[in-house]
Amino acid sequence: MAVKPIVVYPDPILKQACAPVQAIDDEIKQLIEDLVDTMHAGPGSVGVAAPQIGVSLRVCVIDVSKNRHGKDNNHGLLLMINPEILAKSGGAVMREGCMSVPDYTGDVERATELTLRFTEPDGSVREFEASGFEAVAIQHEMDHLDGFLFLDRIASLKTGLFRRKSYK
Amino acid sequence: MNLCRKPNLAHFAVTIIGKDRTGIVADTSEVLYKLGCNVEDSSCTMLGGEFAMILIVSHEKPFSKKKLEEEFAAKTVGTGLSAFVRTLKDDEVCYQGPEGELCLISVYGSDKPGIVYRITRELADRGVSITDLNTKLIGKPTEPVYVLVLEAALPQGLSVEDASALLEKLKKELSVEISVRLITPVSL
Repeated sequence: MAVKPIVVYPDPILKQACAPVQAIDDEIKQLIEDLVDTMHAGPGSVGVAAPQIGVSLRVCVIDVSKNRHGKDNNHGLLLMINPEILAKSGGAVMREGCMSVPDYTGDVERATELTLRFTEPDGSVREFEASGFEAVAIQHEMDHLDGFLFLDRIASLKTGLFRRKSYK
Repeated sequence: MNLCRKPNLAHFAVTIIGKDRTGIVADTSEVLYKLGCNVEDSSCTMLGGEFAMILIVSHEKPFSKKKLEEEFAAKTVGTGLSAFVRTLKDDEVCYQGPEGELCLISVYGSDKPGIVYRITRELADRGVSITDLNTKLIGKPTEPVYVLVLEAALPQGLSVEDASALLEKLKKELSVEISVRLITPVSL
């Protein structure tokens, strides 16, 4: 159990493309555990990517099952190593916030249907389809692995930005 | 970082408006930069043929409102731009984020007097706090259509459905379409 401090911008690690995981060793397993613990400790957080806890590797965890937007359509806890988007379609705008960019939110357009491939912690390769809010969350976390923040993807200016102290 | 008053800084609200042309933002920010002011928060947009800027600026104390006014007066003379400066009190500077759900409300229909007033009065009377609002007159001159889009923070205990029901009677009264939807940010 280790809840790690969230790295916030302007830490340069958030703007770097992360390296792929070469071998799933104890260090990677520990990293995944830390990511899950950190996600559960965040206020209403539905995902954390490795660079957000200071590790520049292509690993992220997602769980939208407890969120009101995702509770009826999800795959539970996803532990994703070297995730790749194979196909995407659809589109919807949601107002996103990010633990690494506190006190700020913005409207971002994301695909609503994804086909994905990633490696599980046991080494097996999984392909699956995600949709709706889960697909949005996956794209947000995978953006972190490529050094993108939601600020790079803001879709509307006029009504697109809003600051809040906290949000669920 | 939330905009919050630091005791060593004086804060001012600055409003600039004038016929649109290129360079209004550059000219305004040049005045502020040369004076050593920080733009702490701002919103600037086109309104009809005008360009309007609203800014919260700060400067290390001691610094007077008069200094800002003089520099803007010198810069805007003969340009058609008008500048207004107001000193902010301590309790005006700290940003208080709303706690309730955030929603987007669209209202549109044939233009008539009272659309903004009736909608916003109804919201105000129920403790709904408007955080952003835009209106536009669109359509043909013979058939003008009014569009009002606003963002609002609902008070605790008022749901999006409640807000929608609240405005339902105004649909008929004003002959407008009204839709309310949740845009509370998702934490990712």
